[in-house]
Amino acid sequence: MKHWKTLAAAAVAASFGAAALAESIYVPNLSYRTGPFAATGIPLMNGQRDYFEMLNARDGGVGGVKIVFEECETGYNTEKGIECYEKTKGNAVVTQPWSTGITLQVLPKTNVDQIPLLANGYGFSPMADGKTFQWAFNAPSGYWDAASMLVNYMDSQDGGLAGKKVAFLHLDVAYGKEPVPLFEKKAEEMGFEFLPIPVGLKEMQNQSAQWLQIRRERPDYVVMWGWGAMNAGAVTEAVKTKFDMSKFIGVWWSGHDADLALVGDAGAGYKSISWSFPNQDAGVMADIQTHVVDTGKSLSNAQEMQGVFYGRGVVMSMILAEGIATAQAEYDTGVITPAQLRWGLENLNITEDRLAELGMAGMVPPFATSCANHTGHSGGWILEWDGAKFVKASDHIMPDTSDYADLIAETAAGYAAENAPWPVNEDCSVSN
Amino acid sequence: MIYRTVGQFKTSYRRDQALFPVRQDAFLLAVILLFAWVIFPLTASEFAFQTLLIPVLIYALAAMGLNLLMGYAGQLSLGTGAFMGVGAYACYKLITIFPWMNPIAAIFLSGFFSAGIGVMFGIPSLRIKGFYLAIATLAAQFFLIWLFEKWAWLYNYNASGAIQVPNSEMFGVFVSGPQAASVTQYFIVLAIVSIMTVVCINLTRGNQGRIWKATRDMDIAAELIGINLLKSKLTAFAVSSYIIGVSGALFVFMWRGAAEPNLFDIPLSFRVMFIAIIGGLGSIMGNYLGAILIVGLPVVLNTVPGFIGLDIKSATVEHLNIMIVGALIVFFLIIEPHGLAALWRLVREKLILWPFPH
Repeated sequence: MKHWKTLAAAAVAASFGAAALAESIYVPNLSYRTGPFAATGIPLMNGQRDYFEMLNARDGGVGGVKIVFEECETGYNTEKGIECYEKTKGNAVVTQPWSTGITLQVLPKTNVDQIPLLANGYGFSPMADGKTFQWAFNAPSGYWDAASMLVNYMDSQDGGLAGKKVAFLHLDVAYGKEPVPLFEKKAEEMGFEFLPIPVGLKEMQNQSAQWLQIRRERPDYVVMWGWGAMNAGAVTEAVKTKFDMSKFIGVWWSGHDADLALVGDAGAGYKSISWSFPNQDAGVMADIQTHVVDTGKSLSNAQEMQGVFYGRGVVMSMILAEGIATAQAEYDTGVITPAQLRWGLENLNITEDRLAELGMAGMVPPFATSCANHTGHSGGWILEWDGAKFVKASDHIMPDTSDYADLIAETAAGYAAENAPWPVNEDCSVSN
Repeated sequence: MIYRTVGQFKTSYRRDQALFPVRQDAFLLAVILLFAWVIFPLTASEFAFQTLLIPVLIYALAAMGLNLLMGYAGQLSLGTGAFMGVGAYACYKLITIFPWMNPIAAIFLSGFFSAGIGVMFGIPSLRIKGFYLAIATLAAQFFLIWLFEKWAWLYNYNASGAIQVPNSEMFGVFVSGPQAASVTQYFIVLAIVSIMTVVCINLTRGNQGRIWKATRDMDIAAELIGINLLKSKLTAFAVSSYIIGVSGALFVFMWRGAAEPNLFDIPLSFRVMFIAIIGGLGSIMGNYLGAILIVGLPVVLNTVPGFIGLDIKSATVEHLNIMIVGALIVFFLIIEPHGLAALWRLVREKLILWPFPH
């Protein structure tokens, strides 16, 4: 008799446990903590993970629903990427593909599987066109935003860009080629010389040929679109060839503390455009410290947590969490569906006030999305390496989105035509 | 016991030379085909199709192509990945230039482009042999990848430099591109791979196969008995590259959906080569066994901790996986250096003789 009672109790507990499990939102992340790009991946993934761990510990999740944040290891390998995508898509409300190669594979499937694809600050720039790419988001900023901001920034220094020469050192894959059309257009308009210098995947760590070319060409600026081992390679090579660091500017993925720490003071003056800043005084960092680090749940360490990439990971998860919260408020439900999350991500409104409320003031510029605008065009800051850490070296700067609105529309239309039948959002009446 | 051959008398040479002289072999094959054609399609999930069934078949086909060249004709090649790329890019160009073309016809046609390129890079095999030839085919690898990157016409001047598979229809059903159902793609891959396998088996058992084997075993002796080495080696390169090209087209059109040039780089060549070597050089069945071990097993291992409820971090599982698969490869090569196919042959012989030890 007694046994029956305990058994019954166990059964009840088990069923409650199952119910509690159902009351959760499954958020997979196609992470890469192994492989050639792990060094740059780990701080970002730790930031993303810790933010959701913190929300789960502090608020019991988002809107009272626990977030099951789970990583699936890809090692930056597209084949593993598909495996992870197929494995997680059953219950997932979102896909975070984390590599341009995986994004390329998943993007065409978004219309079929109807799961939002969230690629914060990476992926295909025309994803900004929300009417065409209904399920894909690259908030808060895309690569063409970065290119536009960099051109404007360089133009505002030392008497403008006209007549100058800009070398474009980039990884020779889809990611590195992405901003080329915009740079070429601006070069023609503003009268500067644009010189693309590709770095092959196999040459990432040995860029002597590229830097020899840079020495010969004597450009006024070197703009870098690098990732993984390429960043460290370029920075060390620049120091070796005594290139003026203040004329060397990278995209946001080329602003990793550990890469610059290799050269220390010699790298002082190196800049990177960024839509995030690791504000150590922000409330959210203190909350992560108390709820995640002090309870031993974090995989990160104190030094990494001060870096730009960790802070960016936190911002990325904040954007997703806000998307979930927006959807919950609109549909008045706790556990949301992928389609509802899409609405949430399309109606983000991250204001200064909201950032202050979240304890994230100064970590990301305010931005808003709409059904036509899936990027938000937040703008960003120029961060400068002072020899020990990155500091803000400019006010908030904005891209000239009107410069490439046509380019976005054209490329998006081309993509839709190539992938016909490709449904577009006809209900969306907002213009970009 | 299971494999008792008692009572299976052969009364004619024809029957003695049959593909399956032992009845149980034919029965086993029938069971496997039943699984492949009926049971898997009915029961498999989307995940199983996309990560196990389709890739194992495609990799097995690629390894079969390489095996004809390496295992039967004895010519080492490191250009497999690039030849797969030729097939994939040729198929992409065919489909985009002639959108009305039947996608399956395009896949078969694209093999011819790969065969042509394969023959071109096979010409040095007349003068150089063994490892030196492997280095010469490595040139194909570097040159072709460079071409895929730099020749913008190949990827239709796409800004990202990648090829995207368009949605194409056959008899009102989507067969390629994101709209295609996995099960449709599985059947297409299975049909093409089955046809290719039958062709390969007959080719290697027939006259051409004997010519290749003679070339492999001792080319001077082969020449002395009247085999034209030029023809023998170049047909091996042509047939092998054709099959590899078709597998490359399937790789992108029936599975990946998109491809960047560096996908076809050396790691892919090595992967296919490992499948051929671990499966067993000079065997057709070995390619399937090798593909199951190299492509299928890691996927299955990845799901084990979740299945039995162990809470291990995904990155740790990945590390463990690499170690386990690596150890298994070493283990199989130690117990049978001639590959899994030879291991199966050994097991089968033991079963036939059972319960006698010799």
